[in-house]
Amino acid sequence: MNDLLFDIGYGHFLVLAAVLFLIGVAGVLIRRNALIILMSVELMLNAANMTLLTFSRMWGDEGALSAHTFALIVIGVAAAEASVGLAIVVAVFRGRRNVDVDKLTTLRH
Amino acid sequence: MKFLAWLIAAALILCVAGIATPSLVHAQPVPTAERPAGQGDAPRAIVTKTHPHDDIVESSGKGMAVLFWIFAAASIAGALFVVTRRNLIAAVMGMVGSFIGIAAVYMMLYAQFLAVIQMLVYAGAIMVLFVFVIMILNRPEDEPVAPTGRLGQVIGGVAILYLIARLAMILINVALPNKAVALASPAPIMLPGWGTVAAEPVGWGTVKAVGNDLFGPGLFPFEAISILLLVAVVGAIAIARPLHPDDGTDADPGIHP
Repeated sequence: MNDLLFDIGYGHFLVLAAVLFLIGVAGVLIRRNALIILMSVELMLNAANMTLLTFSRMWGDEGALSAHTFALIVIGVAAAEASVGLAIVVAVFRGRRNVDVDKLTTLRH
Repeated sequence: MKFLAWLIAAALILCVAGIATPSLVHAQPVPTAERPAGQGDAPRAIVTKTHPHDDIVESSGKGMAVLFWIFAAASIAGALFVVTRRNLIAAVMGMVGSFIGIAAVYMMLYAQFLAVIQMLVYAGAIMVLFVFVIMILNRPEDEPVAPTGRLGQVIGGVAILYLIARLAMILINVALPNKAVALASPAPIMLPGWGTVAAEPVGWGTVKAVGNDLFGPGLFPFEAISILLLVAVVGAIAIARPLHPDDGTDADPGIHP
């Protein structure tokens, strides 16, 4: 138990990333506000990035494309996703006056 | 105001971590001639070793552990804030705190450039975008959590806790594939009187290393991400623009509750 507390290894980083990812999954599943769902997706991307960096450090990162570059590209994709997602949220709000995903059921019928 | 104070405290802790992390202070051996006055004669001056892995310490120091738990707790608490708060601004503030904690954890993984980019892009840009959209929407949420029965909540909570426990049991004992590099990190924290500092191979996770990689083998993804961002900008404008010129939100400023 003492080792687990004071001897920080890679497993700790992986567990932290997994917990953050699970919190993001829970946010996507239980929240109904589209903005919170977008934020939870960002949280999941961050957890994936943390896993990438941890494994990069573990393996020594001697491949052709390093995990740092890959994480940077993931951040760029997340930025693009957030901008388009927020634009969709604004467009939906303009037509319907709410962003509750449980009430956006037009495509279901 | 409480969130603001919390945020400032987190930023201060991050500054302390930046000072204390040896990868920031000791990564690049400064030549003696260029060393600033007052720093070169300190007892904790940079020792350039011929072999960087000569004095690898098997375990990380206690200061590292303390800082790791602080930032892990900050990031998880911020994430829980996002999921549980009813107030959207509170959720965004929790997200910013979570991103600050994650950036500090990146720094412990020797990804200094990624940590700074994380702070700039996420906590700086994307969260500001979220705040603007929340101000445009300006509508309180009726009920924060999807309505499920008590039984469903219990089952879901138990399932998530079980999943976390199993993941932790598996992940906490990962093997080290590349011991030479892996054992050098996470390095012990340089606190006064605590332990020694392992020499770090120069140029891990710095701007120079990431830039060399980005414009060498990563050139095609780099160009692709630039096109993707351009498409996202155009798409966001095209989506968020009102279809008819007289349909804009400026025409009806009030939100009808």
